[in-house]
Amino acid sequence: MTSVGRRSALLWALAAGVSSAAGCAPSRTAPIGAGGQGPLARTAPYLPFDVTWMIRPKHGRKYLGVSFAGGATTGGVLDAWAGKAGKAPNLLSYRLAWGDRFPADGTLAVWKRRILPYLVWEPWRTALRDIAAGRDDAYIRRTAQAVRDLNVPLALGFAPQMNADRYPWGTRKASPEEFVGAWRHLHDLFQDTGVSNVIWVWSPSAADPVPAGRLRSYYPGDAYADWLGLVGYYTRSGPRTFDTVFGPTIEKARTFTRNPVLVAETAAEPGAREPADIRDLVRGVTTRQDVVGFVWSDADQRTGRRPDRRIDSSPEALAAFRRGVADPRFGFDVRRP
Amino acid sequence: MTTAEDPVVAVPGRAAETSATLPAGPGTPAHHQPFDPESTLRLRVPPARSREPAPGYTFDEITRADWVLGPVPDRGWSAAPGARRTWVSRALLACLLLVQAVLSLRLHNTAFEDEALYIYAGHAMIGHLFHGAPDYGGFSSYFSGSPALYPVLAAWVDSVGGLTAVRLMSLVFMLGATGLLYSFTRMLFNERTALCAAGIFAVCQSTLFLGYFATYDALAILLLALSAWVLVRVAAGHWALPLAAAPVAALAVGVKYASALFLPTVAALLLLAAYRHLGGRQALLRAAVFTAGVTVLLGIGLATTDYLQAIRSTTTDRAHGATSVPTMAWDCFRWGGLIFVLACLGTALYARRDRLGEVPGGRRTAPDTRWRLALGVVLTGTALLAPAYQIHLQTSVSLHKHIGYGLLFAAPMAGVGVSRLMGAHFRFPQAAIAVGVLALTLGMSQSAQNYGIWPDSTYLMPELAKNVRPGQKWLGQPHEAPVYYLSRAGLTDYTYWTSIYYIDYTGRQGRHLMGPEGYRAAIDDGWFDGVVLDWNDQPGDVQTLIRGEMRTSGRYRMAGALTYRTSVGTGHFEIWLRVPAAHRR
Repeated sequence: MTSVGRRSALLWALAAGVSSAAGCAPSRTAPIGAGGQGPLARTAPYLPFDVTWMIRPKHGRKYLGVSFAGGATTGGVLDAWAGKAGKAPNLLSYRLAWGDRFPADGTLAVWKRRILPYLVWEPWRTALRDIAAGRDDAYIRRTAQAVRDLNVPLALGFAPQMNADRYPWGTRKASPEEFVGAWRHLHDLFQDTGVSNVIWVWSPSAADPVPAGRLRSYYPGDAYADWLGLVGYYTRSGPRTFDTVFGPTIEKARTFTRNPVLVAETAAEPGAREPADIRDLVRGVTTRQDVVGFVWSDADQRTGRRPDRRIDSSPEALAAFRRGVADPRFGFDVRRP
Repeated sequence: MTTAEDPVVAVPGRAAETSATLPAGPGTPAHHQPFDPESTLRLRVPPARSREPAPGYTFDEITRADWVLGPVPDRGWSAAPGARRTWVSRALLACLLLVQAVLSLRLHNTAFEDEALYIYAGHAMIGHLFHGAPDYGGFSSYFSGSPALYPVLAAWVDSVGGLTAVRLMSLVFMLGATGLLYSFTRMLFNERTALCAAGIFAVCQSTLFLGYFATYDALAILLLALSAWVLVRVAAGHWALPLAAAPVAALAVGVKYASALFLPTVAALLLLAAYRHLGGRQALLRAAVFTAGVTVLLGIGLATTDYLQAIRSTTTDRAHGATSVPTMAWDCFRWGGLIFVLACLGTALYARRDRLGEVPGGRRTAPDTRWRLALGVVLTGTALLAPAYQIHLQTSVSLHKHIGYGLLFAAPMAGVGVSRLMGAHFRFPQAAIAVGVLALTLGMSQSAQNYGIWPDSTYLMPELAKNVRPGQKWLGQPHEAPVYYLSRAGLTDYTYWTSIYYIDYTGRQGRHLMGPEGYRAAIDDGWFDGVVLDWNDQPGDVQTLIRGEMRTSGRYRMAGALTYRTSVGTGHFEIWLRVPAAHRR
């Protein structure tokens, strides 16, 4: 064996040590357990968005929500509405047909405008019993992953107005057990996927009075729902005060839950009473501690043989709306608890 | 080594002939002569070789004029240790230890549940032993080692430098074990075998894993290696000297009860080492003295503590699992198969032939075949003890760690195997290189995979810290790491946490409810302020029950789900918070 100088031996040892330390230094692509996250890119967020505080906003703050007819809502429409209402909304309701892809980009765009997205998921083509039986689990999981990975707060309603008979998932086509089964299945799959950035909105119709027991049979449970998203309209012929439109349903719901109420869809028919209806709505929402806000259905549905429910259907209505939502409790910054 | 030190030799005359007939090399300028067809076509006939001088050798070295070949030192041929060989071997050992340290330090994860449990139990034991605080944990009833030994040491180190310091302590223990393995293998065989043994042991997954893992195991392996070293060292000495190893061996058992499984191997090692030098009667005497010493010490330990129940529940009468035998056998083969196969090879080749070298007179001192076979079988067979016991129990819990105990003893024979694969005078270095590369890649990948099995709780702890307040009662799976990390921040301590393994809940009617009924009643009553759950593809029965109960009771809402990826899959932590009373119906 040839003799090795001490200095060169020391140098080699040092070089070996340094190179092995450099080679073994943790890097992002290193194996899991060796300081990295493995070869696959991670899509799920490290920290989920905590929506707990948004369920009951502090200091009596209220959501000022709006929904528009049709598909995707552009920023221009929102700006125009905010200009008319005198205040930007902080909740936007829009719909997703069952089977369609979750609009991640649109939802993110909404959130970036400091607006809480409220997605109403409507099973037009699939029976609730099939959803409960797990026929669409792959689609639900895919959607759940997209919602989780997007990691922005999302209010999610499923099969709204299930206690009415005007939709395929309503009383004519599905039983309460099927609705509850589908809801719980959907909710459980979301939780199993690790989704915690969703506010679950159970959304019965307030316009179709049913006995408390029957309403309760549609309720999936407090662990499955965060908001009571009531749907009810001020009409010319029917009830026309907050207490008569929503009061009975809230009263019945209070026999089985204390969850906060969001008026998930409302508007007033145009006419002489419209400004008074709007004032009553705003008063009802602001005076009741358990109501967290309302969503104005700003639909111009004159072509569909329905009344024009836009806030500017008349100058008086618009003025009433502007005055009502000028209350500082409306339209708070949804990014700040 | 002797071959390498041999000077380069050449047959006289051949050098001159070679230089005369070979064409000019690149070093010598070629003679450019004009083309001559006559001479080119003429058959070249080499000149007749002259009569060769008398046979002999001459050195083909250009040396100084006054240089003469010195006498070959005896150690060039001798197996006896020399200063240079010792120095070179130790330098190589230092390199191996460096590699082991680097490979262990590259492992990265937050506290495993056992690490967190032992450290916070150690803090509780320090309070109990030194400050008179009550012991609520009952750690001595279910720990697989004495809670007054390693946990106390770990907690003390933790209070100085945190989890990293405790893990570094384990690294020191494992480096010490490798060093001692080298030393007693050198005493049993020689430096080359010892280096091969240390190298193959240093990079195996259990060594790398335990080298940065704050549990009993590293200390227990160090103490076993130390007792083996002491016994091999004193085997040829006075009959009472093996008693010096008795406290070390007894301490190893105290640190981790399962170490007792390896004491027969240590005693057999003493017997064989003594037999080689002193014969059967003296060897038996020393082994008996050692065994008696350890037995007395363990007897005193058992008589003065209440650990017997824990030893039964965690070690001797451990609950049977449901892991299939082929799965466990495959795991054992993956993690220790290479060393075991090499050790079997080493045993067979060692039994066949005692040494590779051509050392004159070496065979006179060589042990006989039976002794060699016995040594090989004892050391190699030890590698099977822990796997065999766990396969018998069909429980794979900590198998990847426990396999390392046996590999410590099989490593010397594996060293023999590698050394024999290389052959005399490093004849087949490629075999050792291939084995080394295989061992290194297996050890690196397997240790990283096993270190990434539990989810990283880096993001869970700050989220929990936002919600956990002093005095709150929590239910947790996992609960050990939250208790460890959050009690460091002064937010909680272990007495406020309930695990999914045991509950004794006093319900509204004053009944003591345990097991599933206890969890169900406690959740329905909203007893816990919060619940942490680890939810993955294979949740346990209790977790499923707890989660289902929280959903149906409506007393809790999931506040956050933190997804994670481990080396074997994905999952998420769930933080459930009790819904405030004002918001309940």
